[in-house]
Amino acid sequence: MPKIASFAELKAFGEQITADRDNEAILMTVCGGPGCQATRCHEVAAELRKELDSTSLNGKARLRVTGCHGFCEQGPIVVIDPSNIFYGQVKPADVKEIVDRTVRKGEVVERLLYVDPSTGKTVLTESEIPFYKAQTPTLLSQNRRVDPWSMEDYLAIGGYAALARVLAEIDPEKVISRIEASGLRGRGGGGFPTAAKWAACRAAHGEEKYVICNADEGDPGAFMDRGVLEGNPHSVLEGMIIGAWAIGANEGYIYVRNEYPMAVEHAKQAINQAREYGFLGEDILGSGMSFDIQVARGGGAFVCGESTALMASLEGKVGEPRPKDVHTVEHGLWNRPTTLNNVETWANVPAIINNGAAWFAGMGTDNSKGTKILALTGEVKNTGLVEVAFGTPIRTVVEEIGGGGRNGRAVKAVQTGGPSGGCLPESMFDLPVDFDVLWEKGSMIGSGGLVVMDENTCMVDIAKYFLKFLQDESCGKCVPCRIGVDRLLEIVTDITEGRGRPEQIELLKELGETVAQTALCGLGKTAPNPVLSTLRYFAEEYEAHINENRCPAGVCTELVEYSIDARTCNGCGACLKACPYAAIQGRKDKLHTIDLELCTKCGICLTTCNDNAVVVQ
Amino acid sequence: MHQNVDLVIDGSKISGRRGETVLDAALRYGICIPHLCHMPTLTDIGACRLCIVDHIKNGRSKVTTSCTLLVQEGMVIDANSERVRGLRRNIAELLVTQAPNSRAIQDIALRCGVTEPRYEFRSDDCVLCGRCVRACKEHYQAHAIGFVGRGQERHVEYPFREKPESCIMCRACVTLCPMSITPCDGPMKSGEGYFCGKCASLTQAPQYEAGDCTRCDLGEGFDCSGHL
Repeated sequence: MPKIASFAELKAFGEQITADRDNEAILMTVCGGPGCQATRCHEVAAELRKELDSTSLNGKARLRVTGCHGFCEQGPIVVIDPSNIFYGQVKPADVKEIVDRTVRKGEVVERLLYVDPSTGKTVLTESEIPFYKAQTPTLLSQNRRVDPWSMEDYLAIGGYAALARVLAEIDPEKVISRIEASGLRGRGGGGFPTAAKWAACRAAHGEEKYVICNADEGDPGAFMDRGVLEGNPHSVLEGMIIGAWAIGANEGYIYVRNEYPMAVEHAKQAINQAREYGFLGEDILGSGMSFDIQVARGGGAFVCGESTALMASLEGKVGEPRPKDVHTVEHGLWNRPTTLNNVETWANVPAIINNGAAWFAGMGTDNSKGTKILALTGEVKNTGLVEVAFGTPIRTVVEEIGGGGRNGRAVKAVQTGGPSGGCLPESMFDLPVDFDVLWEKGSMIGSGGLVVMDENTCMVDIAKYFLKFLQDESCGKCVPCRIGVDRLLEIVTDITEGRGRPEQIELLKELGETVAQTALCGLGKTAPNPVLSTLRYFAEEYEAHINENRCPAGVCTELVEYSIDARTCNGCGACLKACPYAAIQGRKDKLHTIDLELCTKCGICLTTCNDNAVVVQ
Repeated sequence: MHQNVDLVIDGSKISGRRGETVLDAALRYGICIPHLCHMPTLTDIGACRLCIVDHIKNGRSKVTTSCTLLVQEGMVIDANSERVRGLRRNIAELLVTQAPNSRAIQDIALRCGVTEPRYEFRSDDCVLCGRCVRACKEHYQAHAIGFVGRGQERHVEYPFREKPESCIMCRACVTLCPMSITPCDGPMKSGEGYFCGKCASLTQAPQYEAGDCTRCDLGEGFDCSGHL
């Protein structure tokens, strides 16, 4: 592989790749993201490869397995270009038909096309699918255009051009001022202005400085960073090299959790490729700059996503946060100036240099610029990764992109920002996706998790779930987080199990506020958000649990009773057979009843009954 | 370079030594800020969070631990605002219900205004202040004990649960433990716990006023008034 030594060589090389590719007729793109892998996309890809190799199509059609496209609900996904035909939920058995009809004859396999659930119409091309239409693709759309293993793919879409430009003609200070003009803020959750961080790190005293990419994504249901690092690792590397140039660092680390084996693998091979091409190492592109990146694997502790804990872990110490009275931009990794940014933040940097700060600042709201990748999960029709411009109302994300509630149920709330975020009720869905607006309302963008909840969700139970998660993941160093969150969980558990007392609501608020104000690190400071935000917007659910011993959503098992509706029960006996505790009695074709003494509220009868005769109250 | 910086704590102008913490400076001047995990000569880790203060900067106030906050020229600190006192009381309440057997922690709780704890008592004894761990490591370089486990499982333990040869039985860990500083002889079996408040006799402190150290016995073992 040629080592690229200058801006001119890079340009010529990129043009050569593009020229070589123009004569390719058909490109089949298979999404290889984590969602599609779970639905066995690799079998579809292997079958496609076999079909292409065994027929005369080799050379006329090409297969590309990419990172996550975002539309996990429809996985495995095959997109056929240039006609942009979208096939969803493809099985290995469908491959022969796709190759025979679509690739050879240019016909469409109707049964594999996407059907819009709201209109019932089939959609031919990817670009017409409502899920994609309402998005503002900038980062995520690149995933579809590159094979993460291929440097050529990345160069073909203009990769490393931003780096070459920066090294050739932009001073470090000017890079920082461009990032400042773009208004880029940290995507990891804090929303701290990236340029301010870089400038402080550049100004800090010290010969050795470090840049770190935080890929220790641990929020339940969130996989934005994973999507970017797995799908387009070179964009992250390019951002990091530009950042290193701006602050004057010579070493960088990607801290990625070991539970993301594919992200680890892709990052490592991308680093090796970048070294081969001369984008990492000594004298990068003839600029005299030396910089290298290593991958460090995290053990999966949630708290290691916190910057100081992450650095402690990198140093080989126990991953515990330390007080941030002295900032990490001055005393970070090994006590040296360190800039730590999230995967998505780094990936935004090349795009800003390439397209200009004004382009980036043109998207979004006054204080939140650009786009944000959100992991849309929960009780919504279309789950997956979505990228929207800041300022997009939550309603657009949930209803247009997400397609509304699953099985036609009404959406009640969204939980944004992972376990540290808060729950917002449906009445506030017109709020924009914005760092400051959501923070004011007791929630946050966080790293971008967005869990949709419907009427079957109990908000007290949700608060309990997240408190349990945070209690498990707290490092245990400081009192408010270790004991305080544990006490919050104790009280909320009391409430869900029918032991709640009215005065506990005030205690929850007071203790929650105390933990938020006094905990040592970001994990503890935001830990009470789920309980505080549900108390703020769903107080009536807490009151129903405490005052009426009732769980309105029928979730908290201690507060509900199962019974069989005499009008709907047809006496089929299915529930009687299914009940593992023999709690159901009744004769064939006669009304069945549940013995509450024996019933453990496991819910099996509820799912077994075809006539919805089992009632939970 | 000036070795001293001027700062204001609770309205009193004091002179801090560059490099020392706000807590150390305050204690030198007899301004009592309750604290538990802080020990002079040991590295501060900000674990107990009792020594929180309001750091007022550019018109905004931020709650932070004074044991990890270094003195700066012109700093304005409010160590006893209503907000800080309320938060501190809640933290002390968490501590005293976790380890009600410790007289030292009872003292602190009373001092911080806890009279009727709202949580059930647990008899955990150890509140993970880390005095023992740090003394062992920093004073004796023995590294014979350390923190093991995360979150609820965090506890103080020998490496691999076996007493290492580096332990010279100096008993510094025992001496510094808030459990062994005047241990309470109350009936602290599970379910029998109550907060008798008898140690209130040790803390006959009048309502706090700025700059007025009460020289209470609370600081015994904490080296609070020892500097005076």
